[in-house]
Amino acid sequence: MKAFALFKKDFKSEMRTRYAVNALAMFIVVTISVIFFSIGQERINESLTAGLFWVVIFFSAMSGLSRAFVSEEERGTNLTLQLIAGPSTVFTGKLLFNLILVFAMNIVIVVLYSLIFDAFVIKNMVLFVTSFILGNVGLAVSSTIIAAIISKAGAKGTLYPVLSFPILLPLILTSVQLTIFSIDGTKFEEAIVELMIVLSYDVIMIAVSYMLFDFIWKD
Amino acid sequence: MIWKIITFLLLTFVSIAGITFPIVENPTAWYQFPIIPGLEEKAKIIFFHVPTAWITVVAFLMSTVYSVKYLRKKNLEDDIKSYAAAQLGIIFCLLATVTGAVWAKFNWGTYWNWDPRQTSIFALLLIYGAWFALRSSIESEEKRASLSAVYSIIAFVTVPFFVFIMPRIMTGLHPGSANDTNAGPVINFKMDPHMRLVFFLSLAGFSMLYYWMWQLGYKSMIIKDKLNQKYY
Amino acid sequence: MEQFLSNNSIYIVLIIVLIVWFGIFTYMLNLDKRLKNIEKNMSVGDKNE
Repeated sequence: MKAFALFKKDFKSEMRTRYAVNALAMFIVVTISVIFFSIGQERINESLTAGLFWVVIFFSAMSGLSRAFVSEEERGTNLTLQLIAGPSTVFTGKLLFNLILVFAMNIVIVVLYSLIFDAFVIKNMVLFVTSFILGNVGLAVSSTIIAAIISKAGAKGTLYPVLSFPILLPLILTSVQLTIFSIDGTKFEEAIVELMIVLSYDVIMIAVSYMLFDFIWKD
Repeated sequence: MIWKIITFLLLTFVSIAGITFPIVENPTAWYQFPIIPGLEEKAKIIFFHVPTAWITVVAFLMSTVYSVKYLRKKNLEDDIKSYAAAQLGIIFCLLATVTGAVWAKFNWGTYWNWDPRQTSIFALLLIYGAWFALRSSIESEEKRASLSAVYSIIAFVTVPFFVFIMPRIMTGLHPGSANDTNAGPVINFKMDPHMRLVFFLSLAGFSMLYYWMWQLGYKSMIIKDKLNQKYY
Repeated sequence: MEQFLSNNSIYIVLIIVLIVWFGIFTYMLNLDKRLKNIEKNMSVGDKNE
């Protein structure tokens, strides 16, 4: 499986330098500390906690996920990748890497959040896990395709959040709503509309990304 | 030429009708509008504010269609047409946001209160603002055209959600949201026939005006490109 | 005339809007004619080459 081999290559080179993982971990710690510090003694309510939760997730994703393509561009290994595999395979490999990164990062964020904020107590675990998985898949897919676009552009660092935020906005709005539902303890059946929205966002984004990646990848 | 005259006449009539036709209790003549409870005089904005929002969607749709055409045939003229359409889309989006905010001040008390409809039009502005930022950061013409075409297609996938779905399922103040009973004119033909006539004439007039502006825009950009090529 | 206009100010708004619209329309007609001329000149130049 070529895609899996590509993923293993990225994973191994990441484990050697641990560049992205370290930067991400520090970014998460710093962001959560800033929020915790600014809140002070106040007790924040559930909607605010859920909103801040997704703020931390979004900005951590912005700082860590563009590396999948930008590192290839910087090291000049783009042409080799184009030679050894077709566009869909390359995209699948990069998507797998970003998926693992997103899940690992978000599990860390969830753990830290539950420890630090008292309002973050999940009453409906099933709903939370479902929305967590669906939201992370959507985040990974959109971030990967936007990373592919900006890897060929100029001002990569600043352009990445600018391009990603409007595309991720439907996902973030709905996921914040779902997180509030799971903290409040609403039943699974009542949140079905929002879950459908996130699921359709995921499906549409995966389909569109695979169709369009070919046009970005070839020079 | 004739359709430009028709555009002129249509929009003149719509301006006169939309501004001066009286709103009375029991409309009898064809030039009288009924009173809508809660809105009274402010209902007239529907003739100007809704067409700008409609033209925004049409312009962004055209921009995406020409992006798709570019990706298939790699003809740079399609990219220029897509760019001209997106420019007009942003202008009309800004107009819709501003007219909406002014109306909100008189209807709800503040210019901006993150009503779902206001949030979604703001998200549209962000998306296409990012599109222009992407275009300005790439030097080579073909790369710029293909990358912005891809982003335009991804961006347009989210537009129907923002414009049609999100404001209808979330609760809010804007007419047509999830908790709206009869708070204002909803676009599902519950409109009074007199108002409907002027409204559709306004939609037609604005659409033709947009088409004309778009034509002027892309023709001038193509001519500029051709002139630049001749004198290097 | 001024009495009538200051009592029914909506007509002042209408006159201003119409003036603005006529101005915009005239400008666009002008632009259209100039672009058509340039296009004609350019295509004639191509034929002459």
